[in-house]
Amino acid sequence: MSTVRKSYFGCAGLLTERDARNLRIFNTWMMGTLVLWAGTTILIERHVIVWPIGWGLTLASFIACLRTTQAYIRFMRDSDELLRKIQLEGLAFAFAGGVVFMLIWRLCERLGAPKLDCDDPFLVMMLCWALGQYLGTRRYASTEP
Amino acid sequence: MENRLRVLRAERRWSQADLADRLSVSRQTVNAIETGKYDPSLPLAFSIARVFELKIEDVFSPNGTS
Repeated sequence: MSTVRKSYFGCAGLLTERDARNLRIFNTWMMGTLVLWAGTTILIERHVIVWPIGWGLTLASFIACLRTTQAYIRFMRDSDELLRKIQLEGLAFAFAGGVVFMLIWRLCERLGAPKLDCDDPFLVMMLCWALGQYLGTRRYASTEP
Repeated sequence: MENRLRVLRAERRWSQADLADRLSVSRQTVNAIETGKYDPSLPLAFSIARVFELKIEDVFSPNGTS
């Protein structure tokens, strides 16, 4: 099980071959799911498709989400223990960032700030997740090759 | 927790990547353990001791007692 040279948040040697393979599978599912979800959203909002196809695409998006989740769980379970720790800290960042953002923005809305869609906190969570992974990588791993 | 990983590895002329391969972990995990940034799990600590053919207490020790 050799370490691959692929860079992870600017850090080489953090991914084993198995981790790189699982991460590649997860990334593929995540990108596919995002494209399917965004395409479905656009088609439904513009009334391009009739409702049975809309429900079909929504079901396909749901299944793709489940497969993405499954791929991420497999990546986490099989991953190298340092990488798993970095991922867990990233998830903690995402959870905390999402909760704090939702609670505080709810107060801001009452003070006149614009109302958010339910998927806006999701974006904050994704950004916090990425930031948490970046900080974890910087904290535990050497960025020297 | 302190460890003698770097010394033991140097005695055997193994690179971090060599040791990582023997342990089935990433090179960065070995680096993080050596530099004290990360304490390994118990199974990994036992694996490290086994790779060096030593007892676990010969590789790891609590802070200040090695």
